[in-house]
Amino acid sequence: MNNIFRKFLIVALSLVAAVASSGYSAVGGTKADYTESVVDFEHNLDDYVPAKTNYNFYFTYKIVHPWWDAVALGMEDAQRKYLEKGIVITYEYMAPDAASYEDQTRRLLEAGEGNYDVIGVDVADEEKISPVLDEMVALGNKVMTFSSSDAAPDCKRIAYVGNTHNYQDGADLTEALCEKLGYRGKVGILVGSYGAPCHEDRAKGAMDTIAKYKHMEIAAVEYDMDSVDKAYELASEMLKDNPDIAGFVCCNMSNPVGTARAVTELGSKAVIVGMDHDQEALHYLKDGVIYCLGVQDCYSIGFDTLQVAVKIADGNLPGDLFPDKTDESTTIIYQEDAQSMLEILYGDVSQ
Amino acid sequence: MKRTRLTEKAVAITAAIGSVLIMVTVIANTYWASRQAVSSTNQAVSAVSAFYLESMADRRSKTITNLINNNFDYMKKAVGVIDEEEIESQEELRAAIGRMKNILSLNRFALVDEDDIVYTQYTTYTGRSRHAFLSKKTLDDKMISTVFRYGSSKELCLAIPIDIKIMGKQFKACFVQIDINDIVDLLAFDDQGSTHFALYSANGGNLSETELGTLIGTQNIFDATKGNVSEEEWNSFRDDFASQKNGTLTFTINDVVDTICYQPVPDTGWELVVMIRGSVIQDQIREISEKSLAANHMQIAFLLVVASLFAAIMFYMIRRVAKEKLDEEKENSKVFKSMANTDSLTGVRNKHAYMEMESQINTRIREENVDKLALVVCDINGLKYVNDTKGHAAGDKLIRDASALICDFFNHGSVFRTGGDEFVVVLQGKGYDTKDEVIADFNRTVEENIRKNEVVISIGYSAIKPEDEQLHDLFERADRMMYERKKELKSMGAKTREFYEAGS
Repeated sequence: MNNIFRKFLIVALSLVAAVASSGYSAVGGTKADYTESVVDFEHNLDDYVPAKTNYNFYFTYKIVHPWWDAVALGMEDAQRKYLEKGIVITYEYMAPDAASYEDQTRRLLEAGEGNYDVIGVDVADEEKISPVLDEMVALGNKVMTFSSSDAAPDCKRIAYVGNTHNYQDGADLTEALCEKLGYRGKVGILVGSYGAPCHEDRAKGAMDTIAKYKHMEIAAVEYDMDSVDKAYELASEMLKDNPDIAGFVCCNMSNPVGTARAVTELGSKAVIVGMDHDQEALHYLKDGVIYCLGVQDCYSIGFDTLQVAVKIADGNLPGDLFPDKTDESTTIIYQEDAQSMLEILYGDVSQ
Repeated sequence: MKRTRLTEKAVAITAAIGSVLIMVTVIANTYWASRQAVSSTNQAVSAVSAFYLESMADRRSKTITNLINNNFDYMKKAVGVIDEEEIESQEELRAAIGRMKNILSLNRFALVDEDDIVYTQYTTYTGRSRHAFLSKKTLDDKMISTVFRYGSSKELCLAIPIDIKIMGKQFKACFVQIDINDIVDLLAFDDQGSTHFALYSANGGNLSETELGTLIGTQNIFDATKGNVSEEEWNSFRDDFASQKNGTLTFTINDVVDTICYQPVPDTGWELVVMIRGSVIQDQIREISEKSLAANHMQIAFLLVVASLFAAIMFYMIRRVAKEKLDEEKENSKVFKSMANTDSLTGVRNKHAYMEMESQINTRIREENVDKLALVVCDINGLKYVNDTKGHAAGDKLIRDASALICDFFNHGSVFRTGGDEFVVVLQGKGYDTKDEVIADFNRTVEENIRKNEVVISIGYSAIKPEDEQLHDLFERADRMMYERKKELKSMGAKTREFYEAGS
């Protein structure tokens, strides 16, 4: 039954891809029941024939968090499929408990000393990490970026796989919020980690969108450092300081969960828009506490990252085999999509 | 005490009612017995089915428990082996994990170091957010948990605390993850499709994604059964899941009655639910029951046919006997009547018959309803003499000869013996029309008999006249004429009483 469902998912995804032929994401789509195409769990390796039978990679990402666990599952799927073809891929997939460019720098430098075919990084801080990557590339390391945050545009990293439209995701979510609020009112913005390109870009998209409407204003902008508890504290404070806050824009996975808890606890009617597929956030969406969520296809990010890493390891560069930036989709889902999304992602809405 | 006469009809009715009562009693008894048999069979079916279900659920629950225990044992052994190996690099550790994984057939076998770094055969990753059991700093005892993975797959995670050092790092845990689909395959191995089963979490969510029959399917079992059982039963059902108890639940969906049996899987928080619908046991027992019922119905039908046949035969026989008796009675009555009106010596009608006839003719004379009527009076000559001299046997012979002679000329039914030597012939219709010729022939014969010394009969006759008021009027005229004839015959040589008397 799952296979049938997944095949249907592929067809649905293909249709979405055809519609979104500009290479841009599905952000801003209608409220139609398109949840089945939000995440693609059915992947097959492309026709590329790896040059070796053994590969060893190192990946590091911003922070230990369920979002990257979802990416890891896509990677493991690809690893199993390579194994079926007789190609053994081993890799490390490491992150600190708290986002830190220092920690990431240390990990990257250590990895540079190791025997890895490719080193992949989800950039914790664009400004700080990009030079490190350039240095590693200069030393002969094959470096790529992945998941949600790319390095600076002039960075020498070989390729990027992940969300290429974080600014637009932030703008689209905020546009949905503004429309919901009738283009007037105060908005609180919660961001993830300082310097994390994906978070910062979304926040910028949000701020630029609000700036378009003269009856809207930003009450505050706060960083939760990817902590749900911190997000809850910040949202609570914002609501206490500005009881008339009409809405929140949440730029990462922990933001909407903490904000929804605060809004519920304080009895606020503030409208929440946010990112990602946290199970608790999906339940808030189902209950109407969260207005909409931008869900990224983490599984595909993981799967494609490993495929591109194999090609890079074989000495390939962006071109016909893979692009400089492999884009992965983000889909905005609403209350009516929450239940099926919970079932797709977590198996049972009641779990 | 007055006694009522018992008629055949009463006997027949009593027999019929008795037969019907016996038949009804026997059929009712057979029907009741068959109903009892069905009821008992149903109870037995329920008991056997429940027992079968419980047995199935228990066996499967134990299968999972054995799987869990085996994995725990294998994990300990694997950790022991790895601990003894002098592993100095991550590559060697991965290789060792791979070997143990393959040798012991462990699913996703992994070790966890003190920094919550997870080591598997192919990957090394930070696992704190991914594995719930790592949320605690230390693992005190073995732990069983259900993992709901992104992508909707569900796994059973078994973890044990370990205390070994590899590459100078302290390792704190070892775990395996078993895909629930693999457990379902294991459970389905001995099923042969005769039952439905599914694994549920405490809140009723279907973990195995197996359909529990077509009606519940893969729905949350509480949602599926709500409204189809009483609220009390439903709450009790939920409580049993929450407190890891076993039990059974019977519910009706779309008029179909189903029974499920649930058995907790120890330490997992799961309930294994088994359901038989249209199962082998029920089908087979029901088939036996239906066959038995059909046999009972056949018995009843056979009994009805036999009883009906028997009743029909009995009815026919009673009717036949009754008819025969009736015919016999009629015949007897005829004989008696005939005997009452017939002269036993000559076979012609007797004096009694003549009197009846006389009465009827008198009525007709009075009604002036008589057209043709004549009477012949006959008297045997010399009877007394024969009786006296030759005995009554000779006398009787003479009477029979005389009667035969009269009947030779006149219709037998018209001849009456009205006295010892007297006969009367009543002539009507055709007999009346031919009387003159017949009487003339008769007299010629008698006259010849005088010469032959055979029976001589003197006759006189008279036809009805308008002034006649009764038959006796005719009789008197005929009687007088008969005496005149007697004298005439005497003159012709016929022997008379006087002759015999004189001769003696």
